[in-house]
Amino acid sequence: MKLLIKLTGALHAEMLHDLTRKHPFAAERVGFVTARIGTLADEGRLILLTGYHSIPDSEYVNDPSVGARIGSDAITWAMQAAYHGRPRREGIFHVHIHGHRGETGMSGVDSREIPPMIPGFQGVGRYAAHGIIILSLNHGSTWVWLPGQQEPVQADSMAVIGAPVQVFNHGRKK
Amino acid sequence: MSADRYSRQSFLGPDAEELIARYTVAVPGLGGGGSHIVQQFAHIGFQNYVLYDGDAVEESNLNRLIGAKQADAMAETPKLHLAKMMIYDLQPHAKIRGFACNWQEHPEPMRECQIVIGCVDSYKGREELEIACRRYLMHYIDIGMDVHGTDRPVIGGQIIQSSPGGLCMRCMGFLTDEKLAQEAARYGKAGARPQVVWPNGVLASTAVGMAVDLVTGWTRKCRSHAYLVYDGNEGTVSESITLRNLKTPCRHFSTADVGDPILVEL
Repeated sequence: MKLLIKLTGALHAEMLHDLTRKHPFAAERVGFVTARIGTLADEGRLILLTGYHSIPDSEYVNDPSVGARIGSDAITWAMQAAYHGRPRREGIFHVHIHGHRGETGMSGVDSREIPPMIPGFQGVGRYAAHGIIILSLNHGSTWVWLPGQQEPVQADSMAVIGAPVQVFNHGRKK
Repeated sequence: MSADRYSRQSFLGPDAEELIARYTVAVPGLGGGGSHIVQQFAHIGFQNYVLYDGDAVEESNLNRLIGAKQADAMAETPKLHLAKMMIYDLQPHAKIRGFACNWQEHPEPMRECQIVIGCVDSYKGREELEIACRRYLMHYIDIGMDVHGTDRPVIGGQIIQSSPGGLCMRCMGFLTDEKLAQEAARYGKAGARPQVVWPNGVLASTAVGMAVDLVTGWTRKCRSHAYLVYDGNEGTVSESITLRNLKTPCRHFSTADVGDPILVEL
């Protein structure tokens, strides 16, 4: 099944700008992205990112054992967004950036800390797709929990529809 | 593949060849304009295509349909077949998903594309393509020509770029309710309008140039929209005066209204 991500160039720029800002104490920043689903041929799915939510400095928890830890207010915002997005089947994606170039993946901390958030999003927005986006300076990888699925699927590509267009293929598949 | 193949377009950037090969383009309408488009895309190096046209070659197409021969009119060769052959002759490994129908009958494959170049006749057809491109986040480039008057014919045309987040064809003054209503009063028929090969070539070449710029960014213009007007009598392409002082964001499309439409029970 083909699984593609699309977003506008403006949204991509907004995410990059926010996520690369220095935080007073956290080593990296986190954000949330809202997304809707589109249907592709042969039961493929298109995930269309619609908006970015920057997490205020005050909603980070000072925890030197991880790059960034967000507090309950930030999680509450995401849960409420998943709830209010139900009529539009709008899901929530956790996003952060790894400060290198090229395709990136989940670190050990990412794998341990972020996926446990997803069932909470699914609980309040069961018909939406939720997931995790990890950007690099010139690439992006996405793991998607489609409605009703307990395991994620890694997206085949992320297309930034801006000027110029950018397409980040998983595994450099063409 | 010879390293010389794309040596004359190396100014597009060191990664241009790879970028051009990576992206997927759709061309709904493979007639006078679309046949130019696919030919140029294939020359440039595009490898991934989604094509739509349900018509077959007719005698009256031979004045402008690139790739069509007398035998195609006699054999009623599908225009889709001509387009595929034109691409495969230049790019034997191209991935082409072709549909001998209107795009509305199989819209899903088009949604994977990054760029759609619409070569349709009607305003309604343009409006529907633009809506689909906004909803599934694709750059839409529209081309079209017309000949006005009979005593002193005037050839006109347009090349429009409508991109998600940018101004749309209504913002730019090209699509209006009046034009759509007039067309609807003719039962949606664009009619057998005059069509000739050279204006189609100018419009298609300009549109392909826009698409290549969107893929490679070689001009560094970073256009969010464009509306170029072709004057076939003067032989000029210039920016539409309707864009002057037009700085407001698009009032007709929200970047949040994307994806499959949801029916909400009231």
